[in-house]
Amino acid sequence: MFASHYRCGTLAGAALVAALAVASAGCGPSQPAATSKDYMVAVSRPNHLNVIDAETLEPVNRCDLPAHPAPGTIVMSPDNQVAYTLIGSFGEIYGLDIETCEVVFSANQSQGNERVRSIGAIAISPDGSEIYTHQNPTVMNSDHYQVQPTRVAVFNTADGIDAKAVRQFPAPRQVTIMKTGDDGTLYLGGPDVYAMDVSSGDYSTVIASRSIDDPQYSPRDVLTVWPIGDTSNEFIRMFSVVRFNGEPGDMDDSSFHWGYERIDLTTGEPTSTIFGPLEVVLFSGQTRPGRPEQMWAVLSHLKQFDVPTQTETRSLTLDHTYYCINFSTDGNTLYLSGALDDIVAYDADTLEKLGNVTLGGDMSMSTPRVIHRPIITSRL
Amino acid sequence: MKKLKPINQKAIELAGTTSQQQVDDVVAMQSVVGCASTTDPGWEVDMFGGTAGLCQPMEADLYGCSDPCWWPAQVPDMMNTYPDWSADAPSAAKNWRNLDSVYPGKE
Repeated sequence: MFASHYRCGTLAGAALVAALAVASAGCGPSQPAATSKDYMVAVSRPNHLNVIDAETLEPVNRCDLPAHPAPGTIVMSPDNQVAYTLIGSFGEIYGLDIETCEVVFSANQSQGNERVRSIGAIAISPDGSEIYTHQNPTVMNSDHYQVQPTRVAVFNTADGIDAKAVRQFPAPRQVTIMKTGDDGTLYLGGPDVYAMDVSSGDYSTVIASRSIDDPQYSPRDVLTVWPIGDTSNEFIRMFSVVRFNGEPGDMDDSSFHWGYERIDLTTGEPTSTIFGPLEVVLFSGQTRPGRPEQMWAVLSHLKQFDVPTQTETRSLTLDHTYYCINFSTDGNTLYLSGALDDIVAYDADTLEKLGNVTLGGDMSMSTPRVIHRPIITSRL
Repeated sequence: MKKLKPINQKAIELAGTTSQQQVDDVVAMQSVVGCASTTDPGWEVDMFGGTAGLCQPMEADLYGCSDPCWWPAQVPDMMNTYPDWSADAPSAAKNWRNLDSVYPGKE
C-alpha cells in the first residue's frame, strides 16, 4: 500500500535507491548511528494511524483505528509514545501506542441522546495526564434537536478505556483548534483566541479577532481546523483581512493581506500581525522553528513570507492541494500533508523536493504531527 | 394568518410563540445537527470569484468537505447521516468511481 520516494540530502535522483539503502543509518556512512530521530504520525483512510520515518519517508508502522478516521486530529503524549486521536466522526478519542498499536485510551464523547462533536479541538496537558476537547453537544430528541451550550471537557488519560469527562467548563462557541502552553494554560481558537485555566475554567480573551472594531480594516476571516505549530511550540492560525487605505469601507482604495494570530507556548506571549499580501488562498501556516521571521503557508501553493517586512519571499506551485504544513524539529525540512494520500518533503532552504510517501488512503482534514523520539524498529 | 386557527399542539405552540415574539435566538449550528448551516460558495468559485484558488484537483478537497459536512448541498454529510459514503474509496482521486449518490434511508 505504501510507496515512498526520498532523495537523501542533495543527492541527485539517480542516487535514490542508494539513499534508501543507507537511510536507516542517516544520510552518509560517516555519520554515527542516531538514537533518536524525527517521525511523522498521520491519520489516513480507511482507518489507519501511520508512523513514518520523517528523514527517509519510509513508513515504520501502521495501526488500525477502531473508528471512522475523521477528523484525524492528533495530540502526542509528552514521551511521544501514545497518539491521542480525535476520530469517530468527530466524536471519539482513542489513544494508541505508536509502536505496539495497543489502544490504551478511549472516550466516546456522546452519551445517551446527547451527541457531541469536536471540530479539531483536542489538546493535551504538558505532563500528559489530561486530554482536553471542545465539545459541541446536541440533544437528539425524537421530534427535534436541541443545541446545547458548548464546553471544554477534561479527561484523565490514566482512566484508560471508556474514560468519562472528569471536569467540564462552559466555553465559547465556534472553537476549532486548541493547544496547551508550557504552563498548562489551554488556548482556544474561536471567534477570538482565549486562554483558559483548566483548573477553574476561567477564561479570558488573549487575542481579539472578531471583536476587533477597527474601521481601517474589514472583519478578519479565519479558517482553521489544524492545531499545528508543534515544532515551533506555537499556537498559530491565519486570517485574511482587507485594509482600507482611504475611507473606511472603500474597496476601490484597499489592499488584501494575510496575518496570523499566534501564542508563543513557551512564554505565553500573544502576537497578532499582518505578514504578507493575500494573492492566493492558503489554509494552514506556521513559523519556521528557530526562524520566527519566516512564515510559511500552504494550499495549492507553498509560500514563504518575511514577517518584519510583510512581503512574500518565495512561492512554489504544488502538484496538488495540501491542507497541512509541518516542519522538522530542526526547521530544515518542510512536510506538506492532508487532503489526498501523500506527504511531500521539501528542503526549507532550497525548496528542493526531497521525496514523498503515499499512504494509500486520503488524509482529508487530519492534522499530522512531527515528533522527535527514540528510534522505532519498523513493524512493516 | 388572522383567519387561520391552529388545531394541533405544535401549531398552537408556534402561534403562541410568534404572537408573543418569543422566538429563541438563532444558534449557529456549529455542532452540525443533521447538517451544516455553512453555505460557503462550493467548488464553483474561489474567494476572488474565480477558479484559480480552488483546490487542485477537486478530489483533494472532497473528503475535507464531506467529513465535516462543510458543503451539505454538494456532498453527503459524513459526520452524521452517511458516515460510510467513502468506505469503498479510501483515495478519492483513485477510487472516485466507487462514490455513489446517496438516498434517504427507511428508518
